[in-house]
Amino acid sequence: MNTAEHLKIEDLHTYFYSNVKRAFIHSVNGVSLTVNKGETLGIVGESGSGKSISMLSTMGLINAAPGVLQGEVTLHTKQGSESLLKGLDQFVKIDIQDKRIISVKKDLNAWNKQVENNMKHIRGKEISMIFQNPKAAMNPYETIGKQIVEMVLLHTELRNKHEAKEKAVYWLERVKIDSPQWRFDNHPFGLSGGMCQRAMVAMALSSEPSLLIADEPTTGLDATIQSKIIDLLAELQQELGITMVLISHDISVISRLSDNIAVMYSGTVMEQGPAKAVLDVNSDKTHPYTQALLSSVPEEHNLLANGHLKSIDGEVPDTIDIPAGCRFYARCKMKHSGIEKQCHHENPPFQEISPGHRVRCWLRIN
Amino acid sequence: MYTEFSQLPIEKRQDIEKHWWKKIHRMDLLYLCYGITIVSLVVISYFLGAFNLLPFDPEEMDLDNMMVGIGAEGHILGTDFMGRDLLSRMILGIQAYFLPGLLAIVIALSFGSFLGVLSGFYGGRIDTGVTYFNNLVDSFPRLVLILLVVAAFKPDIYYIMIIVGLTNAPVVAALIKNKIQFLKQKNFIESSIAMGLPTHLIIFKHILWYNCRSILIIQATLGMGEAILMETSLSYLGFGVQEPTPSWGNMVQAGSNYLMQGNFWPSTAPALAIMFTILGFYLLGDALNHILEGRKS
Repeated sequence: MNTAEHLKIEDLHTYFYSNVKRAFIHSVNGVSLTVNKGETLGIVGESGSGKSISMLSTMGLINAAPGVLQGEVTLHTKQGSESLLKGLDQFVKIDIQDKRIISVKKDLNAWNKQVENNMKHIRGKEISMIFQNPKAAMNPYETIGKQIVEMVLLHTELRNKHEAKEKAVYWLERVKIDSPQWRFDNHPFGLSGGMCQRAMVAMALSSEPSLLIADEPTTGLDATIQSKIIDLLAELQQELGITMVLISHDISVISRLSDNIAVMYSGTVMEQGPAKAVLDVNSDKTHPYTQALLSSVPEEHNLLANGHLKSIDGEVPDTIDIPAGCRFYARCKMKHSGIEKQCHHENPPFQEISPGHRVRCWLRIN
Repeated sequence: MYTEFSQLPIEKRQDIEKHWWKKIHRMDLLYLCYGITIVSLVVISYFLGAFNLLPFDPEEMDLDNMMVGIGAEGHILGTDFMGRDLLSRMILGIQAYFLPGLLAIVIALSFGSFLGVLSGFYGGRIDTGVTYFNNLVDSFPRLVLILLVVAAFKPDIYYIMIIVGLTNAPVVAALIKNKIQFLKQKNFIESSIAMGLPTHLIIFKHILWYNCRSILIIQATLGMGEAILMETSLSYLGFGVQEPTPSWGNMVQAGSNYLMQGNFWPSTAPALAIMFTILGFYLLGDALNHILEGRKS
């Protein structure tokens, strides 16, 4: 498989402002990710770790202030590479003290206009997105067929309504919806959750994007439907050769689909690497957080002596007061390995320990 | 009894496929027929009045037949206190409602949806501003506002209807804003943007047409009723359409002086017309809403 980069996110910062506490919420704090062409990147992490926000920032869908502040997002398309955040830094003025952003001035209107300009040829055409609640993400008053036809007419060369309808039926068939001709005229409320998610996938793929972002596509579906949707996504990705970013808090979902895995925690990427290296339970190269996540998967060999499931002690820290040292320090089981001081006071760099495998942990770097 | 469509006898299925109205609920069909009858009567009367095709001259006084009741010879609906033909005057009275009422509706809907989309879709400071404007308009007594305008300019029905439209706009705006905020909670708008739909398509097609059309239809029919009622109350105060030009409102007012003498007909006839017309518009709106959105029960 070729390993040309498709999407590269570097040092992305997306902050929100809490009016009550008068402080920044560091939702995405220096995220760097690379997605290779034709591969699947799985982003895993607990709720509130910034998985969705970093992808929404990439798509320019953050509306709350101050939103995206810094970063570099490069998308490699057939026409060449394109920076999605180009021309935006002139609208933001940032004050930095001690490596922390302490005040921000942002011209939101100009920023939004520029984002619209940048994303006009990207949204739908290059990158499509599917959301976690398919019924809420579709127009409840329009039939699914018409919504797909609209996508086809907007984003592909087809201009003829009849041809577009045939194309829509083709896509409905492609995502394995039974009797697509008939389902074409169904409204979203007339479909079950799983079928609605299939229709959503059809809608996202009908514009023939090169990159598909799936934001928790299986949440809210029951277990058998979940695995069917995952199989469908894997199959479609193989057949169409598209690149996929899969966001989930369920590491078993991620492990079934991904070529590469990024583990996020508290607004940063803790580890990114090939699925094999990251998911290796016995490896001493992976991040302690990844290991903790893996050992809390409900499987037989992970159970405690009393038959209970393992869990990671403590809670995800709030992203307002970010610690100076390692973010995971408070919950880390390996902090008593002689380098506590370094872990507590210095933030580890995101360093490559083997080709394509980067970890943010002092223990693994030293 | 509920039977699957495929289990029905073939003649019945073909019958249903051939006649679209068989798919509509019986009650809705009734409402629809009544509403369409009333609206077409209004439209026909409007053109009859506009081209002066009336049974009698509405200002000609028949002094031999003053205040005759319904069914009198010559005058089908009777005459008023000056012996003018009631039917002709009622047909001509539509002139005061049809175009001005449409104007009020157009103003209320367009201005209201403009404000609603602004505050719902863009939010933030615009939303605050629009909300304050709506509260301001809502808190000011509408009748006083209309009387102010009538006093400042002249008692013209169009001025009155512009004010009726403008004061109805905040209601429409609030409804549309709520709908958009509801849609934003379900991330349908966000996903539409992510799919690359242009903003004007999202606002006009998906929000206003698909999701707000029931609101708009109901508000349009309510607006017509509101316009007629407002003219009636103003006429009662003497600020509506001025004599000798007839309107249903000033006919009710003029006739009410003779109620005590037992001549209730000159006042009751236009009052009944107002009632049945408003009912017709309301039921038409209801039926259209049910047909477009599906009956809830």
